[in-house]
This record gives sequence, structure tokens and C-alpha cells, in this order.
Amino acid sequence: MRGRSRRVFLHHLAFLGGGAVLLGSGCKQKKKEAAPPKPSGLKPKGLTTSHRTFTSEEYLVMSAACERILPKDEDPGALEANVPEYVDRMLQSPSLKQMKEDFLSGTAALDRRCQRMFKVGFADASAEQKDQALAVFKESAPGTGEAHYYELLVVLTLEGFLGDPSYGGNKDQVGWKLVGFDLIGKHAAEPPPGYDGDRHLHSHLSGG
Amino acid sequence: MALDPVDVCIVGSGAGGAPMALELGRAGFKVVVLEKGPHYRKEDFVHDEILNSRRNFFQPLPWEEPHLLRRGATGKYERSNSAWTANCVGGGTVHMSGYFYRLKPVDFRLRSELGAVPGANLADWPIRYEELAPFYDKAEEELGVSGDALPHPFAEPRKKNYPLPPLEVHPIAKEVESACKALGWHPLQTARCIISKPYRGRAGCAYCVLCGSYGCEHDAKSGTNASLVPAALATGKVELRPRCMAKEVTVDGRGRAKSVVYLDEKGMEQEQPAKLVVVSCTAVESARLLLNSISSRFPRGLANGSGLLGRNLLFSSFGESRATFRVSKQLGRWPWLTDPAPFVDRSIQDFYLMPDDRFGFRKGGTLGFMWTHPNPIFAAVGMAKSGKEGIFGKPLKDKLREYRDSRILQFEVYAEFLATPGTYVTVDSKLKDKYGLPVAAITLERHPLDFEATRFLVARGEEVLMSLKPDELRRVGAAGETTILQGGTCRFGKDPASSVLDKDCRSHEVDNLYVVDGSFMPTSGGVPITLTIVANAFRVAGALVARMKRGK
Repeated sequence: MRGRSRRVFLHHLAFLGGGAVLLGSGCKQKKKEAAPPKPSGLKPKGLTTSHRTFTSEEYLVMSAACERILPKDEDPGALEANVPEYVDRMLQSPSLKQMKEDFLSGTAALDRRCQRMFKVGFADASAEQKDQALAVFKESAPGTGEAHYYELLVVLTLEGFLGDPSYGGNKDQVGWKLVGFDLIGKHAAEPPPGYDGDRHLHSHLSGG
Repeated sequence: MALDPVDVCIVGSGAGGAPMALELGRAGFKVVVLEKGPHYRKEDFVHDEILNSRRNFFQPLPWEEPHLLRRGATGKYERSNSAWTANCVGGGTVHMSGYFYRLKPVDFRLRSELGAVPGANLADWPIRYEELAPFYDKAEEELGVSGDALPHPFAEPRKKNYPLPPLEVHPIAKEVESACKALGWHPLQTARCIISKPYRGRAGCAYCVLCGSYGCEHDAKSGTNASLVPAALATGKVELRPRCMAKEVTVDGRGRAKSVVYLDEKGMEQEQPAKLVVVSCTAVESARLLLNSISSRFPRGLANGSGLLGRNLLFSSFGESRATFRVSKQLGRWPWLTDPAPFVDRSIQDFYLMPDDRFGFRKGGTLGFMWTHPNPIFAAVGMAKSGKEGIFGKPLKDKLREYRDSRILQFEVYAEFLATPGTYVTVDSKLKDKYGLPVAAITLERHPLDFEATRFLVARGEEVLMSLKPDELRRVGAAGETTILQGGTCRFGKDPASSVLDKDCRSHEVDNLYVVDGSFMPTSGGVPITLTIVANAFRVAGALVARMKRGK
């Protein structure tokens, strides 16, 4: 079981109403990397959230990566939607422990890659440099740690941008406004006031 | 220590288990229903895509409870969440879309009427459509199904109309109808397992736009959680035990089913003795439970003397295309395009049988038309793609903006899935789930004729979509399978050498063991099979109650 690929099939089953896609879990790592060196030369700047999954340095790298997946242009991007806070909170979920490990090692690998390619850490790289580093991860062979990290990054960014705001992202529904779901959503009841999706899930699944 | 014995222990509370519990409870028998998932109430159903579709609210996480899946016996198994339906009281009927079609008389006699197919295990059913028809009526009434059975050249015979009038539809339904008629075909109204008016103490549909993949917070979707399970509990004879995972069906010295051993909500092992055991956990999971029920009498799994348990697995052949209408361009032609009405509910069954035998086998299926589901994360992940095709940054945001300006109409194909010797379920004794139980391992080797028929149906559906003049048409797929629709692993039949169950869905070998999910089906039908599972369970329950009252 250890050696088996843990990739999840991404099935497009409209019969279920677009419901059958789960996050991929950790896929097999090529090899466990030695303790990743701390990203160099970074000062945490302007951090307002009390993050729990990431160190301050890691948080900056992750935030910068999310913002390149969905950059601000004439419409808000990942940072404005509070996506990094979503990612930080979601990876605290007990059932996503493997994903957290995969994501953290992937974040460190992205930073190292940027350092090797451009002699600058990911958070301090230019937009073009960041995109080039991300493209390397995106186009890595399926099943590699790099490809898996890219998949996690995209999926978590989109979840944080377009998911229920109770998880910490999609601030002021900026994501829903971008795709028009704020209009659609008016024709379905919203979650009740004070709703917390993560707590709701775990209140039902903690037993048994 | 064993619990107090009951008359019947049912494993599973979905489309198969719930009708059994209701009918046995009504007849006065003491029943325990074991359900592996929680018992959600309507207030637990929240419109939160992350909760419903992307975590384990309904379907287990593949690293906690995987299904192994491989293509062909030489393929490599991958962990997957395929072939799971909702794990909760009501099972897959909770998060279904509820497209409710009946099988047609020809489905019961495919081999006799269409002939054997090389490479496929094609078999007639041991019953005829006419034997199931009264139970289709009963299932539609007990659940609450909305529709209008209009006369139609391909309609199956039925004695009465649906118990509830059809749901209201979006104006585009008329356009779909006209397009089908112009092509010479016969658009049908798709019946839905959703109540269009108040029914048996439940409120009618509120026409919210988030239906399939969600539980219904109004109880208007007639899943067994909202209809049959409460009715069963109201008999006072049925006890429901949620969060109880069955491990094994045990047998006594005579080889009869004795009890169900399960892990309760605290993870403690319990044993529920029963005079009779009914298994109904989906075709894949029921096969797994019986294959994991090993004894000296049944070393290959319970009721598996024939070696056929887990064989002849069926899913539904899948095809889909989408037509995108840009609102900014099309609103002049169709001012109602942005109407939020969620339902289209139009289908075509003109190709349930192919016009000729050009592909060597004439069985086809159904095309159902619908708006693409508005789940935004699901849509966005699809746009982002991956690998060389993957996009991020401004190109991805442009796609998201384009989506805001789009209404997307699609069809789905539900087509025959031929049983083959290479498509089956086994258990993997090396890989265990979070309960410590060997997991189900699925091997898929599709029959090439399935793909021919599905491609043909997809092409017909695309003709309809194209005649509506969309701005874009995209084929999502024509060679897949819908694994939430599953059957076949405990095929029923007259001959114990070629089937697992008899015509009443009782094991040939173990005369107090029944299987009532989709497992009994020898062929998949060309429609979603949920209604057929419910109707068959009512049929089986009727025969069983009569037998138990005779004291047999």
C-alpha cells in the first residue's frame, strides 16, 4: 500500500451535479527531502493573520503562489479574497494531514526552485519569475511531487476563492461575484448565520 | 456478547434497504437497520460546496476508505473515491439528482430479443417487466415522484400517471422540445424524484438552484431519508442504527445466516443476531461485505459457491456534451436566458434501441437534457485543467469572467453497460480501510460495443444542442462510466450455476440471505437505475413478507 500511487481520479460526473471531485491526496513522493532549508532573506511583512499551518516565511511563499494562480487585475485576486487564510485554516483539518505534509514540502520545493533558477526566493521574485517557476511544477510529469503540489495549489486556491466564506476565504464574496455565482446563489438558501463549514463537517464525522 | 435477536437485520438504508424496512415494519416484523453513515436531518443540509462535494460529508476520503480501481487485469490499481455513493441514512438517494426512469420491457429480455454478444455475459432477467410494473407504481407513490407520462412511441406500458404533476421547467425546455421534434424525435418529460407539491407532510420543491450533489433542506427531494425511512420508523417496529459499519455476515452450523457483526459508533464490535439478513450497501460494497464474510463453510465468501459473487459488475455508460450560450450575445434572441429556473427535464429515448444493427448490437440508451450544475469550484477546477493544458493567472481569470457571461446547457447519456468477464469486484486483503476491513478492488474492462453506442447517442445529443445555435459546443466525453450507478455483482437468475440470487433476490445457497441493492441486475438498462432498485426492493419485500407469514 505504501508504494501505490494515491492519486485520486478527477471524475466529471454531472449526474451528481458536479459533486464527485475530491481533492487529490498526497501522491507518492519521489524521495523524502532532507529538512528543507528556510527560505532565505525574507522578512515577514504586513502579516495580519495568525496562521497556524505555515511559518511566516512559508506563509509568504504560499500567499505569493496563490496570487499568481489568481492575480489581481481589474478584478480582485487571491490575496484580496483571503485565499491564504483559507489554505492555512483548511490544512489544519485532521483528515487532511497527508495533504498538509505534501503542501508544506511542495511550498519549500517551489521556493528552492526559484532560488536555483533566479537566485531569489519565491516571495521576492518578479511576477514573470514566479510564473516560470510555477510552470515548471505544472508541467512536471504526472505523479511527481511537483505536479501534485501544483494540483493542490490550484485546487486550494480555487476553493478559497469560490468556497463558502465561512472557511476564511472568498472575502465579501469577491470570488462569487467574479463568476456570477452571487446571482445564482440568491436562488438557493444561504447557510444560516454563524455557519462554520469546517465545524459542521467535523461535528458529524467525529464520532465513529 | 450478542445483542437481542430480531426478525430481520438490514445492512444499508438507501434505495434497496429502506423499502424492505418499511414493508417488513408494516407487516409487524422486528427490524434493525445498520447504516454506516450518520443520520443527517434536513437542517444539516447546507448549500456549501466544500462541505457537500469536496470533503467526506457524503463520500469517504480515498485515503481513509479507498476503492481500488484498475483498467484491465494487467492494469495498476489506483486509490479512488469512484463507486461510492453517499454514506448516510438514505444513501445515494440523498444527493442524487433524481432522474427517475423505468426500464423498458426489452431490458428484461435483451439476450432473447437482441441475441448474444461475443465477449459479453448477456443474460435475460428471470422476471418480466409486467412483474415489476406494479412495484414501479408503488415506488413512485411511496417516494413521491413528479412527472407526466405522455403517450410516446417508445414509452413503457404503465397503468397510471405519476402521483405528482411535473415540476416547472425553464423556458429553454420548449426550445429543446422543438429542436428534437424538428429532427423527427420525441422529447419526453423527465420524471423527477422531487415533489412538485406538498405531499405526505412534506413541502413541495422551492426551485433552488443547488439540487444534485446536495441534500435537500426542504425535504422536497424524495430520497429514502425524507420518505421511506421516516415511514418505516413510524411503524414502531424498525430501529435505525446510524454510524454502524457492518464487518461480516456470520453463519450457523447449517450454513444459514446467523448475525451481522458490526462496529458501532464508538468503534466497538457488536453482533446482531437475526432470523434473516438483508444486504443493501451498493453493488460494490455488498459484494465486498459478502466476500469478507468467510467461514469454513464458505471459504470464498458468503453465498459464493458459484464463484460469481462480485462478477458481472455493471455501471452506466456515460457521455456528455455542453453547449455554451453567451448571455451578452444571446439575450436579444432569448430574453429569458438568465431566468434562474433550475430544471429542463427533457429526454429522448428514440435510440433506446438503435435503428439498425450497424454496431453488431442494437441496445442504446437515454439522453437527458439539463442545465450544467452551477457548483463554481467544480467548474473552475475544470477550467484550470492540468499539465501542458493547464492555465493559471490572467488566462484562468479570463475563463472565470467568461463563465459569468455563460449559460451552459448539456445532456447526459445513460446507456447500456455490457457485463464482461473482465469487469468485477474482489477484495484486497492487503489494503484495509480505517475500520481494518479489506477494501473493494474494481477491475474494469469495457466492451467496445458500449463505446460505439454511447458515441452514437452523444452525436445525436449534439445535433439537438447545435440546432439551438450555441456560441460553443464542447464534448466532455463519450467513453466513460457513471460509477454511482452500479449493479450486477450478485446477479439474479433461475440457475444456481450461473447466478448468485434467485428471482426473489434470495441467495441460492443461503436461504435466509437477501441482497436488494442494484447487485441483482443482470443488465444495466439504458436509464439511471435508482427507481428500479426501489421498485425491485418493494417486489422482494412483498414476496418475503408473504413467505414469513407462512412461517417459512
